[in-house]
Amino acid sequence: MIWTGVTKARGAARFLETRRLLTLVLAGALVWSLTGVDWGGGIVHTGGGNAFKEFLTALFPPELSPGFLKLAIAASWQTLVHAVAGITLALAIGLALGVVASGSLGHLGRSRLAIAVAARFLLAIMRSIHELVWAVLFVTAFGLSSLAVVLAIAIPYAGILGRIYSELLNDVPDGPLDGLRSSGASPAKVLVYGRIPLALTDMIGYSFYRFECAIRAAAIMSFVGIRGLGYEIQLSLNDLLFSEVWTLLLFLVGLVLLVDYWSTRVRRSLGS
Amino acid sequence: MTGPKSTLPEVAREVVAGRGRITFARASNYGFVALSVVAWVYILTGGDSGLGDLFSGRAWSNAADFVRQLLGIDEPGRPAYLELSRWAETGKLAYKTLLMSVLAIGLAGVGVLITFLPAARNVSNGELGGRPSAGLGVLYHVLRLVFAFTRAVPELVWAMVIVFFLSPGVLPGAIALGLHNYGIVGKLSAEVVENMDPGPARALRSSGAGNLQMLAYGIIPQAIPQFLTYLLYRWEVVIRTTVVVGFVSAGGLGREFRLSLSFFHYTDVALIIIWYLILVLAVDLLSAGLRPIIRAG
Repeated sequence: MIWTGVTKARGAARFLETRRLLTLVLAGALVWSLTGVDWGGGIVHTGGGNAFKEFLTALFPPELSPGFLKLAIAASWQTLVHAVAGITLALAIGLALGVVASGSLGHLGRSRLAIAVAARFLLAIMRSIHELVWAVLFVTAFGLSSLAVVLAIAIPYAGILGRIYSELLNDVPDGPLDGLRSSGASPAKVLVYGRIPLALTDMIGYSFYRFECAIRAAAIMSFVGIRGLGYEIQLSLNDLLFSEVWTLLLFLVGLVLLVDYWSTRVRRSLGS
Repeated sequence: MTGPKSTLPEVAREVVAGRGRITFARASNYGFVALSVVAWVYILTGGDSGLGDLFSGRAWSNAADFVRQLLGIDEPGRPAYLELSRWAETGKLAYKTLLMSVLAIGLAGVGVLITFLPAARNVSNGELGGRPSAGLGVLYHVLRLVFAFTRAVPELVWAMVIVFFLSPGVLPGAIALGLHNYGIVGKLSAEVVENMDPGPARALRSSGAGNLQMLAYGIIPQAIPQFLTYLLYRWEVVIRTTVVVGFVSAGGLGREFRLSLSFFHYTDVALIIIWYLILVLAVDLLSAGLRPIIRAG
């Protein structure tokens, strides 16, 4: 125990030597990025300072009238519904594509390898484009509707989930699987009775984390005109009703933290 | 209990039977299924579900028209993505967008670097050296609350609020992205310190190291590589989000995206999406190249 400690401390000393160069590079990157800021034009715009003060004092207290709370609850529900529908669709698409991309279905062969690579490429494109950009595209094509939002969340999230699933399915150790193979199980059976059960805890844990992210994604769909927490925040901001903004922010934070707590408990109980 | 020697059928049976430590997970799975059924019923029975559109020919021909417009088919003049001058103009914006993402990660990184140690439980209660005090205990809870709040609010909502105070440009976008990522990386980095192998710290302590030496040789070298890896991973996410933050006049490609869309300059939109994909790919490659250097460092 103490020996691993000592060797790690030695590695640490080596780290300290190369640290200087790394620090220099990172600090350089930060300074370089500061050149992008337009320093001449005034950082804070006229009245910005006062608005900021007003915004901060509006937290004490936030808007708590029953009518507004009702509106906040309805908006939270709307956001939750979009997030849940989006993530369930993402789970279905992600699992299907993830299994194909993992290449664990069927025996190794050139054509199957090509399909796996194609699936991986498809997943990469799906997740490269941000959910809100997808939303803009869908709303432009299909018009304002709940399904446009659900698809806009489901596609990039399926891209992320599919990649993670395929990695988890591939990382299953061969030992237990060989047992199944030697008893004559087909690759499909190895997948269903071996790979998936063994990777399941990690898959569920990660999916719950993504569910939390989906709540945030659903909240910002206001930008394409979909109702929900983000939409109400925007309306209240436009009317300069900062105490209402705070109430809505607190609802959003509460919703996200609730799901965060849920996902932490699930992951803990799965032991991952 | 699943021992290290357990065979596959046992594990499978345990998962299927839902015994022991997986009961909560099982219950929550049922809860999630119920929730998703309610959500789908709510969406599909709502008036504006758009399900009908999905099967109507009109919506699909709209979508096809939109793709044709993006590609600039049957439009007069050359599409923007074939004009070198348009590439140069949007290239400048792409450069600004890249700067914005680096600045955002830089701001988040500096913020985390200052605050992650007192936000780790084993530092605030004195397990890793130092003296526990009521002030440190309070600071721990305050920082954890700040992490949770900044993390829970999406970048775009931060940006919406911030453009009320700051002039539009790269800075408000970077601050909005920085705030959200500060919460994420802060929490993860504090957890790295909490889950740290206490070996090196103990070895140092037993050879008579003081608190500062413990920090410099025992804690920082273990935590920093992990912290930098998180920053790199978040940078990959941030570059995808810069476009979105640009929607609220935070500058860069996102702003141009929105303007082009509202002026119906669809081939410009296509060009911006191409630039966006280039940026995403470049950052992914750069980050993948930097990661081993940090690990080795």
